Amino acid sequence: MAVALGSIREIEHELGQLRDASTAPGAAPLLRTSVMTHIAWVPERWAEQARETLLGLAERHPSRTILLFPSPDEPDDVLEGEVDFRCFVRGGHEKEVCSEVISIRLCGRRSAAPASVVVPLLVPDLPVFLRWRGPLPFGAQELEQMVDVVDRLVVDSREWADVRGDLARLPDLFHRVAVSDIAWGRTLPWRAGVADLWPDVRDAAVLRVAGPEAEAFLLQGWLSGRLGREVRLEHERAGEVELVEVDGREARIGRLEPQTSSDLLSEELEVFGHDRIYEEAVRSFSSAPT
Amino acid sequence: MTELAENPLLEGLRMRRPPEPCAMTIFGASGDLTQRKIMPALYALAFRHLLPESFGVVGVSRTEMTDEEFRERMRQAVIDHARDEFSTEIWETLAGGMHYVAANFGIEGGEEELVAALKDLDETRGCAGNRVFYLAVPPEAFDDIVTAMGRSRPANGWTRLVVEKPFGYDLTSAQELNELLRTYYDENEIFRIDHYLGKETVQNMLVLRFANGIFEPIWNRQFIDHVQITVGESLGIEGRAGFYEKAGAVRDVVQNHLLQLVALTAMEPPIDFAAESVRNEKVKVLKALHTPGPKHVVRGQYGSGYIEGEEVLGYREEADVAADSQTETYVAAKLYVDNWRWADTPFYIRTGKRLPKRETTIAIQFKRAPHPPFEADLESPLRPNVLLIHIQPDEGISLAIGAKVPGQGLSIRTVHMDFVYGGAFRIGLPEAYERLILDCLLGDATLFTRADEVEEQWAIVDAMVAPWRRDRPHFPNYAAGTWGPAAADELLHRDGRSWRRH
Repeated sequence: MAVALGSIREIEHELGQLRDASTAPGAAPLLRTSVMTHIAWVPERWAEQARETLLGLAERHPSRTILLFPSPDEPDDVLEGEVDFRCFVRGGHEKEVCSEVISIRLCGRRSAAPASVVVPLLVPDLPVFLRWRGPLPFGAQELEQMVDVVDRLVVDSREWADVRGDLARLPDLFHRVAVSDIAWGRTLPWRAGVADLWPDVRDAAVLRVAGPEAEAFLLQGWLSGRLGREVRLEHERAGEVELVEVDGREARIGRLEPQTSSDLLSEELEVFGHDRIYEEAVRSFSSAPT
Repeated sequence: MTELAENPLLEGLRMRRPPEPCAMTIFGASGDLTQRKIMPALYALAFRHLLPESFGVVGVSRTEMTDEEFRERMRQAVIDHARDEFSTEIWETLAGGMHYVAANFGIEGGEEELVAALKDLDETRGCAGNRVFYLAVPPEAFDDIVTAMGRSRPANGWTRLVVEKPFGYDLTSAQELNELLRTYYDENEIFRIDHYLGKETVQNMLVLRFANGIFEPIWNRQFIDHVQITVGESLGIEGRAGFYEKAGAVRDVVQNHLLQLVALTAMEPPIDFAAESVRNEKVKVLKALHTPGPKHVVRGQYGSGYIEGEEVLGYREEADVAADSQTETYVAAKLYVDNWRWADTPFYIRTGKRLPKRETTIAIQFKRAPHPPFEADLESPLRPNVLLIHIQPDEGISLAIGAKVPGQGLSIRTVHMDFVYGGAFRIGLPEAYERLILDCLLGDATLFTRADEVEEQWAIVDAMVAPWRRDRPHFPNYAAGTWGPAAADELLHRDGRSWRRH
């Protein structure tokens, strides 16, 4: 097993070594490509899912990926880093495209100051995306720091235990960072389906959603926000969104292809800037009476 | 579709709206283009759920076939040529709305049967009277088809006409063709395909120029020494002697692809990316384009030689080619764009069959540094910077810059900084035909050629070929597997330049 790298300098040195070693004399040169720095904040319980997502993602979004595994309960305040190259042969070509994956375990109090760890490792001049696994610890130092470092925060409100409470606090971040929500992405075909009901839904009063809480709340916030008036939600729990009705009119959608977590995250990584409609939906939901 | 202004629920929906229901009629359905390009493109669109849910296809050609035989032939075409894996489910969705009509318009009729098939699709698939007529047939067949279908336009729905190249043989024939089309269709209903415009890298040319602040200030005669555009093919004529003997390289490639690449390279920034804005700017370039005289146009024809180690025949030995054929398989020319941005900056273009490799590139060669202080210490002179835009294969962009070789002393070497499309964006690049067919279904004509563009292109080509009527060149004048006749090198050597090395 490789020896863990204990400092940023060691991580940078190891990256350089890997780069040199991968360029064998006479071999076709590797293309080291990055379109962003992709950071993932991965508490222990999400580690396996995060790795799975990454496997399906790196090829689509060649980037420097920094996986941060916070372990605040470890007795020693240390970093344990590993670096790796993920290379993909380009179809029909000799050259390989490689991107770097840096995994860092933040032990003890090091987990409270992640920004100082990632800032030296950011790829200059490229956007920085942060995928925050699990609930957002509003007010916690680690989140506060990271929000100021990144351009876009990607969450999945379906992962939150208290969706209503967390959505209510989320607008506090909107002026500091652009936010993407994978649950919002899942509602896209349903929103299009509801939009197709226009103008019959101009005076919508009741939205009925069978699906996860996060998607239902976001759809309610979206419709209320767009119409400029509160729309009442009737919600039935389900594993995926199965039904969306507005005043008894069913939103019809095309065939839905099953999407992996990599597909969903990949779509969010293609979005730059603030999603004004999402922000409006969250604000609208959080300001509605419960 | 309800407009955004009327429907606030549409705002922020990132998904591209599917095209409206329609039926596509492919004339020339038993031909090579349908099997290699059109049907695989339709399948790729179906694979990505980009076709309308209510969609049908009617194949039309002279060959007698049943619906079932046509579907089977198209299924095999998809298996052989599509870029995605074959999915029975997707294929059956597409094939469910697929019919075939054997007809030879103008001679034996057949339009009634086609109209009936389209009406049937309206009723069974909900195509709503919307029609796309795709003319994948030789220009001689245009008249009968356009007239027949123009006279039987449905009362409801829209109609779009897709026209494949060659669009005419010269300026006069192109004008006549435009006139014929306009008898029955408005210009905004006519989609003239130049598949080069559907290529991602060609579109990226506009993004490179107009979305990056660093290029536009130096994209002019002050900083650019000259431009070289190469459309090279290692293939021969692949059994298309009937077409190629009449067309030659100038009509096959220069009139359309090459002049479009020149226009995109030289055009002024459009005010937006709308179809008319982009095409207006391209037309201005084409109007300003001229070649300084017959001495600056070189034509060639390949003799036998070697491609990838294999001996290949000369053009005149190819099947169905006249033994004394004067058809050019290679053209190189020097062009000027007469405007403030490009005055006195040559655009060297070349295209040929049986060149050493398949390659389409635009090379922007910048002027040398005005006062390189290292010159006295160098063994070889500094090379100029070149911005190289790879259209195919290996889509991407590279910039050649001089860099110091590590070590003592001063040695400068040219290195390439590469942006490779497939490296940065790991999604499969769509085939040009996918993009163009989808744009046509959506009614977006930005990447199609307008009538005045086509006519300007023919005017340039007519001027280039006019002197050829007077002389008989000594063909063949280049061996297969080489970069063309010596006269093409001489064309640049006279200006103190040379074709870039490959």
